[in-house]
This record gives sequence, structure tokens and C-alpha cells, in this order.
Amino acid sequence: MVRLTWCGALAVLLLGPPVRAQDEIRIGAVLPVTGKESKIGGAYKQATELAVKEINDAGGLQVGAKKMKVNLSLLDDTSDPAKSAQLVEQLITQNKSHAIIGGYGSHLVQAQSVVPDRYGVPFLSGGAGATAIYGRSKWVFGTLSPVEHLAETQMKFLDDLVKQGKLKTPLTIALITENTEHGNDYAKGVNDFVKTHPGYKVAIAEKFELNTTDYRPLLQRVAEAKTDLFLADSHLEDFIAMHRTYTQMGLHHQMLTHGARGSDTAARKALGPATDYIFASGWWSDLLPYPQVKDFNARYKKETGVEPQWYHAMAYETVRALLTAISKAGSLEPEKIRAALANLKMEKSIVPGQVLYFTKTGQADVPFVVTQNKPGGKVDLVWPKEDATGQAVAPIPTTK
Amino acid sequence: MTAVLRRHPMLPVGVAFGAFLLLAPVFAERGTENDLWNMSFFLVLAAAWNLLGGFAGQVSLGYSAFVGIGAYTTVLLAKAGWSPWLTLPVGAALAAAFSVVVGLPTFRLRGPYFTIATIGVGEAVRVIASGLDFTGGSSGLRMPAGTFDFTANYYAMVGLALVTLALVAWLTQHAFGLALEAIRQDIDGAEALGVNSTQVKLQAHAISSALVAVAGGLFATNFQYISPGSVFDFRLSLTIVLMPIVGGMGTLTGPVLGAMLFSYLQIKLLASPALRDSYLFIYGGLLIVVMLFEPKGILGLWERLIALWARRRPEQPVAEARRAS
Amino acid sequence: MQKFVVVALNSLLAAGLYATMSYGLAVIYGVMRIINLAHAGLMMLAAYATWALNDRFALDPFLSMVVVAPAFFLIGMALYATLIRWLPRSSAGPSMQSLLLLFGVWLVLQNLAYAIWGGDTQSILTPYTMESVSFLGGRFGVPQILVFVASILSLVGLNLVLRRTYLGKAIRAVTQNRDASMLSGVNAGQIAAVAFGIGTAFAAMAGSMLSTLYAFTPDFGRSFLLKAFCIIVLGGMESFTGVAVGALVLAFIENFASAYTSIPVSYQDAISFTLLVVVLVAAPGGLPGLWRMLDRRVMAR
Repeated sequence: MVRLTWCGALAVLLLGPPVRAQDEIRIGAVLPVTGKESKIGGAYKQATELAVKEINDAGGLQVGAKKMKVNLSLLDDTSDPAKSAQLVEQLITQNKSHAIIGGYGSHLVQAQSVVPDRYGVPFLSGGAGATAIYGRSKWVFGTLSPVEHLAETQMKFLDDLVKQGKLKTPLTIALITENTEHGNDYAKGVNDFVKTHPGYKVAIAEKFELNTTDYRPLLQRVAEAKTDLFLADSHLEDFIAMHRTYTQMGLHHQMLTHGARGSDTAARKALGPATDYIFASGWWSDLLPYPQVKDFNARYKKETGVEPQWYHAMAYETVRALLTAISKAGSLEPEKIRAALANLKMEKSIVPGQVLYFTKTGQADVPFVVTQNKPGGKVDLVWPKEDATGQAVAPIPTTK
Repeated sequence: MTAVLRRHPMLPVGVAFGAFLLLAPVFAERGTENDLWNMSFFLVLAAAWNLLGGFAGQVSLGYSAFVGIGAYTTVLLAKAGWSPWLTLPVGAALAAAFSVVVGLPTFRLRGPYFTIATIGVGEAVRVIASGLDFTGGSSGLRMPAGTFDFTANYYAMVGLALVTLALVAWLTQHAFGLALEAIRQDIDGAEALGVNSTQVKLQAHAISSALVAVAGGLFATNFQYISPGSVFDFRLSLTIVLMPIVGGMGTLTGPVLGAMLFSYLQIKLLASPALRDSYLFIYGGLLIVVMLFEPKGILGLWERLIALWARRRPEQPVAEARRAS
Repeated sequence: MQKFVVVALNSLLAAGLYATMSYGLAVIYGVMRIINLAHAGLMMLAAYATWALNDRFALDPFLSMVVVAPAFFLIGMALYATLIRWLPRSSAGPSMQSLLLLFGVWLVLQNLAYAIWGGDTQSILTPYTMESVSFLGGRFGVPQILVFVASILSLVGLNLVLRRTYLGKAIRAVTQNRDASMLSGVNAGQIAAVAFGIGTAFAAMAGSMLSTLYAFTPDFGRSFLLKAFCIIVLGGMESFTGVAVGALVLAFIENFASAYTSIPVSYQDAISFTLLVVVLVAAPGGLPGLWRMLDRRVMAR
């Protein structure tokens, strides 16, 4: 058997690139399954594979007159940007993928995003919200809306609370962001809003390194600044460490957020009731009251045993968007797929607003959701207001 | 001719190897070219590092700083309108200058104290690069459009690798090499014999850092996007050290073998889903095994095998066996 | 004035944490001149073990040290017997081989953790994790106070063992001059094994304690390891009191720099690394060495 494989390989080498099966759709994906981003990278892998499985189980994707199976090649870049780019190249040149699903993590996707232009292959990433990635190549698309808008959504939400009378301007802000592209984009979003809204002022802005060992010096500065609001952007481990210190130091602000963190089950396990009233903003929430979201939640739980978080949902929807575009294009030709992506308006999508589409830069710009933790382990969707499941509580009650 | 061959027994192999690399774009697929580019990149880093680390015995765990300096110089100058090729010598010069700044205080330290100091330097550089604005901070920087040319870059990288090997071979075959060796074996003895050890160390540091920086510049041009995480990473510094150690420190071919093995492992491990999750086991295990059983690396193992073979055939003079290795 | 007191107390608590995670490194370095890069992996593994005990048996992390420390002591001795013992010892000082070997061990430990527990972030929440104590105008977390107490106890315990027991004397002898101690009848190999075991046990205790403060993944420990390097270099790499002093100095510099200057907090690590290099170059004996030098100068007058 081994010898046969060798002969086969030799034959392939001698005869040149093999004639690929024409009745399958070859999708390549490069994700950080191991390494620093492995937690969410692994989730993306799971959701991507599920989306492909669902289509194949239904008999394949309708492209033109034929129903074709989807052949997914998923490689691990071990969270290394250089490897990530090279693997994308490998999937394009050796695998002859018709389209590429991008990775997770802005620095990884940044590295990957230079490749599609060279070969003219459509590239859709479900894992990077950094604006710098998009707008440079007509082949690069992303389903995660810009991180600046995440921050802007939070500011709009806060502003609405002011209009409701729950908060009163002027409001000062402590802006504490992780020293990454995500953190920088978040800070920019907040600063841009503050520039055009005179009732707000950023009194202290600090960056912190991932995995900081001691948050006391940083929070000491925050305490001294005595601001009304605490707006932070951090990874899960840092959120936990920082918020523990925050609680121990007895700090209090009228509203508090850690960007997208807060409602994660891991955070609630680590912090208990200290997470109450924290609000978080994200690309998706399982609380969205659309029928397709309820259906998705049930299906995902049934197939994988996992309650879907935003990363599962966005990874899944990204694949669905790509396949929908291919189906609409009715062909596997790269330019046709690209044009279909550019003009895509996917209805009944699980994303907030229920329609997934891409702007001129190739990046999606759908609304963000804001959730707020409530006592007793509850979470409420508080924004967009038309989809809200509960009232926002502001200011955070003091526990003394 | 035979004299040259006797002094450089690996020369025919080296020439064949170089020819293979240079001719590869003609018959190889893009994927293979990528792999060869990677291997050449690691080769430059390993062989250059080996000059100071293997031959002179000063193990630095901070070489990623030089990769980063080269990469960032190239991107920043290219964004200012420079041709990427012209940025390379500038990066090399900056790296060499930085190496002297770092070396002057730290070369007073011996052994692992020097190593720990270099860890500190490497990490401090990374933190500062992530904090500064003009280096793009933690978001990184992108090369301006139109600077990508894989074939040219490939030849440049392969060329750099061959030049590095030739340079190291030439340096170590002459007095400079003897000085390095003397420093490695007994620094006080070397000083007593008139070797200005600090000057020699600084020179070796400067030359190797310059080579590494050029590789960093080519890296930036090839990947078009760099960030502190990708070029200033401590793990890169560790990889740079790992290769010559596994291959055989203080030899010419050691780093080459190390770079080849490392590139090969990277390709194989990533391609196989079963092994993918255990690549840490494999790297770690490899390190453990090498350190325990053959600290001189693959070459050391080879030498031991040769010696065993020589002993089994007593009619062959030992000198001949030594020459064969 | 009040701010000064609060910052000083913060520094003290941070120093307790730093010292705790450095003792293990110091023991192994002192006796064997080996730089244990696997220290980070051992702390991480102990954190996971503590979490597992807490998850299955609801065992409090601090109490679980009673189980974790001896277990890791044995693991440390086993590591020594199977791996470290075979390394050639160079009398010229610590070798690169041990450094790289233990780095390899660290990688293996990481993979082990990934394989057993996956890459998920874990944490331990106890009733007192979020509690704090008001004191002299500031509020201080209960876990940090417990860690500080543990570090004082460790220091006292280690010094007692060193000075009052035969084992301690033997360890000191081997630290000062291995060959001479062997001539005096000390079984240096055994002592080295015990020392490695002790170092591993301390790494484990640090891991258990850290698990009460931080959330962790298999990648955990890297930033602590680098700080610990800094501290043992500052402390002179020769005594545990030195480690405590080094931890104090680093913690004070970090906290006071943050409180009284406007250096961005993200440069905090750069401070410790620069300090590391400066101390290595200017005062290789660490602070005790500096002290001795000054002492000699004063005496010479």
C-alpha cells in the first residue's frame, strides 16, 4: 500500500499537477488551532467544519445547474503570522482552492491578506475587525464589522442612557486598552466619538501589555483620576485579573465595560457577582430574538454540545456567506465569486440587523449588540433597542 | 585544487547545494520555493548567530532584536519612498551599531550571565517597539504597494544564505576564527596570548547582526506586513539558537543541518493533523534528547559514528577517518 | 503621605508574590548553577493541578499546597534522576546545555497541559478571592495578603532549614564548593537531587498561589519567569534573603514609578528588563554584591 502511494506520488510529480475534480468546491481555511489564539481559533475550526458539514449533508451547494460538494482544507498556522501567510499561499497554489476562509486574529489575518491579491482568489475572513486590513485589495472581505464601531456603539448606548436620564453629562472616561491593534482601534472609536460629543471627556488613557502581572499600579492611576466611566478593552485573562484587582481595591464607576468581555461564562465563573452590571459589546449574542438565531442555537448545541458564543456564530455565518455568494455567482470563477461577495445581501442572517453585506472596503458594517450582566447570572440584550430583552441598568448600584 | 578540497572537504557539497537552491525556481512549485526560502532565511540566522554563539561561545538569546531592526528599517524607509533594496544596507548598519551598544556593557559578562542579559535586551526592545507610535506600535506596519517581487526576493535570500556561509567559512579559517575559538575555550588564556577578546567579540557580534538584519529586511519585503509579535518575538530568538545547537555549534555545516531539520519539521508537522497538536512535544523532546545525549548536535553524532567505524576497521589509519568527517 | 503608604503597601504585597515565584528558581540555581527554564511550566502545571483538586474535591488552593508541594517535590527529584543528573557539569559555571534541556522540558509540559486540559482559560473562584481588607487608607485583596504571608513563612522556613539542619548545611556546602564538600563526606549527588526537588516544590507552591490570583492557560508562566530572572539577579543569586530583597526592590520601583511618574504603564516590563541588564553589568553580585563592595570601601577607610 505504501509502495502504491509512492508510485502514485511519483506519477503525479512526473505528470505535472493533477487534474482536479471539477464537481467539487475547494475551500481553503487557515486558522490558529494551536498557539496563542488557540482557544477561539479552535472554536472557529469547529464552527467552520459544522457549516460545511451542514451543506454537504443537504446534498451539496447549488452552483448553476449542478449540486456540488464542498471540500474544506483546514490548516493550522500555530498563531504565527508568517506561517499563516504561507499556508494561504499553499492552499491557493497547491490545493487550487476556489476561495479562502481567513483566520482569526487581526495580526494573523493582516499577514494573510497580502496573498489573495497576487493570485486573484476571493478571501473572506470571519476573524478580524481591524480596519487596516480592508480596502487595500478588492479580493479581501471580512464579516466582522470594524472595532471602532464597536466602541462607537458603546458610546451611542451610553449617550442614549443620558437621553433617558439614567446618566448625566458631563461624563469623564478612563480609557484602558490592551496594547494590540484591537485595543488601538477601540481607543480610536471612543476618541472619535468624544471629539464630536462635548459632554464626554477622556480623563486618563493608558495601554497595558497582555498578561500584565500586577494591575494595581494601573488601577491606582485610574482611582486617582476619579472618572465616571471605565471603558476597557482586553483579552479574557487580563479582564479577569484586572477586574479582580478592581473589585479588591473597591473601585466603582457609573458604567463599566471591557469591550467584548463580560458575558463570557468563563468570566462569570472566575469573578462571580463582581461581573454584575458590566456591559459588553460584540458582533453577536445568542440572545438576539430572531427565529433564525433560536434555530441556530438549537442546531449548534445539538451538533456540538456547545452553546454558541459570538465566535462560533461569526465563523459559521462567514462560511455561509461565502457559500451563498458562490451559489449566487452560479460559477466557480474567481471574478464571479468576488463580484457576488461584493454585492451580497444575505437575508435572514443571524447577525444583528438580520442582513449581512459588505461595504466598499470589503468589510461588513452591521450593527453591534450590547449586553449587560444582571444579578443571578442573567444576561440581557440592551442594544439595539428594538431587539432588547431587558432594560439597561445605569448607574451601576454601589454595593456598600 | 586538492589542497583547497582538503581544507574545505564540504566544498563540493556546498556548491551542489547552492546550485540546487539557485536553480530551484526553474523546476519547483511555488510551495517548494516557499519552503526553500524559509530554509534559507533560517540558515542565515543560524549561521550568522553561530559566529558569535558557536565559534566564540557567547550564547545570545536576543537576536530577534536584529531581525526586527532590519525589518522595521526596511518598512519605514520604504514607506518614505526608498527602494527596498537600498534599505537593506541601512538596516545592516543600524543593527551593527546597536550590537556594539549592547555588546560594550554586556561582553564583560561570562557564560549564562551574558545570555540572561541578552534576554533582557531582546525583551526590552520588543516592549519599546510595541509602545512607540512611529513604529506602528503593536498594530505593526505594512510595506507600500508594489514592493513585492517573490522571485527577486527568493534569489536575494538564497544569495544571502550562500554569502553568509562563505563569509563565515572565510572568517573562521583565518586568524579571526582562531581568536574566536580561543575565546570560547579559555578567554583568560586568550587574553594572555594577546587576543583583544572584547574587540573580537564586538566584531563578530557586528558582522552577525548585520547579516541577520538583512535577512529581516528581506523578510519584511516578502511578507509585506510586520508586527512586534512576528519579528521581535522571544520564541524567534530561541529558534535561532536551537538550530545551530541541534545541528552542531561551532561548525560550518552544523547550522545548515539545523536549519534544514527545523524547516522540514515545520512543514511536516503542520501538514499532518495528527502531529499538529504535538509539535511542542517534538521540539521539546528533540531539545532534551540532543542536550542529554549529544550536545554537539547532529554533527557530533556523526563524528561519533565515524570514530566508531574507524575503530572497527583498524587497518585504516585514524587520520584518514578524521579527514573523511 | 497617605498615597505613599498605600503605594508602599502595594509594593510589599507585590514583592511577596514576586519572591514566592522566585525561591524555586533560586534554590536550583544556588546549588547546581542551573537556570531552570522549566520553572514556568512547573508553575503552570501546579496551577492546573490545584484547579483540578478544587474542581473535583472543592479543595481550597492554599490548603491543596499540602498535597501539591510534596507531589511536585517527588516530580522534581524524578526529573533530576532521569534528566539533569546526566548533564556534564562544567566547573566554569552554569552551562547552556542545562538551560536548553529545561527549555525543552518546558515545551513538553506545555503540550502535556494542552493535551489534558485543552487551551481553555481556567480560573479558581473561592469565597475570599474578591474580598479585601481596609488598612491605612487603602484596600488590599485577601489572596494577595495570604500570598505575602506565605512568602514570609517560606523565607523563614528556608533559612531555618539552611542554618539549623544537616541538610541545610550540606546544601550550603555544595553551593559554596562542590568538590570540597564531597571531600568532607557530603553526597553531592543526593543533595543536588533534593535541591532540585525543593526547587520544584517551591515552583509548585507558587503555581498554586498564582492560581488564586490569575486565570491561566498552558501558556501561563512566561511573564513571571522573566521577572523571576530579574529578581534572582538583583538578589545576588546566592541567598534567599537576597531574593526577598530583590523582589522588594523590583516591586518598589515598579509601583513607585507608576504612582509618581507619568511613564506609561505598558513600559513596566521594559523597566524590569533594563534593570536586569544594568544590574548584571554594573553589579554582578546583585544587591548583596553592591553592599559588600560598599562595605569594603567603607572599611578600607
